[in-house]
Amino acid sequence: MKSKKVLAGLMTAAMVSSMFAGAVFADETEAATEAAAEAAGELLPGGGSKIIYCITPSTSNVYFKTVQDLATSTGEELGYEVKCFSHDDDAAAQLELFEAAIADGAAAIVCDNAGADASVEAVQKAYDAGIPTFLVDREINQSGLAAAQLVADNAQGAAAIAEAWVEAMNYEGKYAELLGLETDTNCQVRSENFHSVIDEYPDLEMVAQQSANWDQTEAYSKTEAILQSNPEITGIICGNDTMACGAVQACLDAGRDDIKIIGVDGSDDAAAYIKSGNMVGTALQQIALITQTAVEEADAYLNGTAPAEEKQLIPCVAVTAENVDKLAGFVYTE
Amino acid sequence: MKTNNKSTNSNQWLMTLLKGRTFIVLILLVIFFSIAKKNFLSATTLTMVAKHVALYGILALGMTFVIITGGIDLSVGSVVGLIGMLAGGLIQEGLTLKFAGVTLYFSVPVIVILMLVAGCVIGAINGLIVTKLNVAPFIATLGTMYICRGFASLRSGGATFSDITGYEGLGNTGFKVLGSNIANIPAGVYVFAVLAVLAVILLKKMPFGWYVLAVGGNEKSARLSGIKADKIKILVYMISGFCAAWVGMINTAQLSAAHPASGDGWEMNAIAATVLGGTSMAGGSGTILGTVVGAFVIGVINDGMTMCGVSEFWQKVIRGLVIILAVVIDQTQRNMQAKMALQARNENK
Repeated sequence: MKSKKVLAGLMTAAMVSSMFAGAVFADETEAATEAAAEAAGELLPGGGSKIIYCITPSTSNVYFKTVQDLATSTGEELGYEVKCFSHDDDAAAQLELFEAAIADGAAAIVCDNAGADASVEAVQKAYDAGIPTFLVDREINQSGLAAAQLVADNAQGAAAIAEAWVEAMNYEGKYAELLGLETDTNCQVRSENFHSVIDEYPDLEMVAQQSANWDQTEAYSKTEAILQSNPEITGIICGNDTMACGAVQACLDAGRDDIKIIGVDGSDDAAAYIKSGNMVGTALQQIALITQTAVEEADAYLNGTAPAEEKQLIPCVAVTAENVDKLAGFVYTE
Repeated sequence: MKTNNKSTNSNQWLMTLLKGRTFIVLILLVIFFSIAKKNFLSATTLTMVAKHVALYGILALGMTFVIITGGIDLSVGSVVGLIGMLAGGLIQEGLTLKFAGVTLYFSVPVIVILMLVAGCVIGAINGLIVTKLNVAPFIATLGTMYICRGFASLRSGGATFSDITGYEGLGNTGFKVLGSNIANIPAGVYVFAVLAVLAVILLKKMPFGWYVLAVGGNEKSARLSGIKADKIKILVYMISGFCAAWVGMINTAQLSAAHPASGDGWEMNAIAATVLGGTSMAGGSGTILGTVVGAFVIGVINDGMTMCGVSEFWQKVIRGLVIILAVVIDQTQRNMQAKMALQARNENK
């Protein structure tokens, strides 16, 4: 009995001391990288290899797959090896991927992150290890850690396509709104900016507002329910194209081809509906351009030129029947 | 003595009420929403509700069999996504046999049969993992849930198969029929009705149903009395996969599009409908009729609240409360049943 207690005591002591040891080590490496960063004119040196890590949410969304594809092609052109991974919107998984990148000695990390607050820790880790992070598509709530944060101007994009929609509605009528996941910042920004334009017109009245969680089937069934309770609507504004496509299908099934629908994203599915006249338009987030810019900036950074500004807004393009032919695979060619 | 009889009578009354509780809740909900929203009680609205209910109602039919044996099938939502992608892919791109250098296009009935077989195969894999490898159903189907979702995304590299109408020249048009109305009633509702009737027959009128209940009630004694418990378990997972395959096709046909993330989380709706219908998670008891009513309760709540403009956040809270309440009442009923049985035995003495 007594020997067990002694053993337990010893083990506890060992554990505590190992924790201290770990902490000391961490401090040393931090100091080393900080010194290195200062020596290089405040630029992070990278992990030593010629590997770029590209970390995005689930690739079951074409949008994020575009990020990985463009990062790979641009990176390889510039002479890097590009490794792509998905964190599935899980901050813990994202942190593990960042740690893997650090262990791998990555030159830079291009990341579409898993949440504005939850991702700060991962970016901090990369920073401490001397690896510059280039955030695309979504921001984090702390500046000074990432080498650059390139995001689509959701506010401008939503407002621009709302302008086109208001015109298509002929400035009057009742409409419904399908929101995305209501806890998502993008959902709020898009909705606010739809309304910043639409609410200027008193004859446009919103009679239903529902969340369809960015999901096509949910948008389909919610639109059916809204058409039941509010058959008088003549327009539906949607937080993304996936939901817009669900809404279009529900309207078609209900024999309502008079309903004006818009979305945000610029997917090929939405483009097809715009061409067939079932959708008014979509706001293209130029994710291809954003990713390309991020990788090019990463290359410039590693060669000694930091981007002029950390936060960069890339404008969205309002895509309607007039210019839909210029859109393919999230790339808009003038 | 007389008072005793009276209390037994009122107890029996209460029992009848409790047994029909889900149905009573359903009627109350319909009345409530009819008052809250004038056109709720109309043929078109009710058809719409039935159309939405059919999707997870069909999943719940299969789930009922699985849960009665004491298992659970978490993979159904992913199977919906995977089957949708497979069906969409077969129509849009056909099946390319690289070694022969040909691409095969199948007609719609063949695709439907292939998908149903695929659903059964996935179910059989679930069943084999549970019985032969002795993995807990929760874990086994959690695994296949991820695997199926992964394959669904791999099929197209994450892209959506959109505008699934088929090509005249290839003779594979007509898939949309599964998602459209036939005589003003959505095709999915017919499938739901037919499958529900088949499920009732299977569970009530066939020896198979008794075996399912026996395996769920007490597996050891079922085995001792000569029931091949492993075979029964594999079969129930195959039924669940078969049902999920139907839902995958109906959902794809309705949207005219197959998205790899389709059906995400639908297993929870199916489980909720089953539990609301009075099937015990411990296994050994449950009815198909209960499950159908349970599915309608969830459907009426969903569509009713959407039509009334209740926010998504409150919808979630209310859905959760209804499920917990249903199980609490279920427990009360079981306790009362046990008490009444005891009382009856004492009186007989």
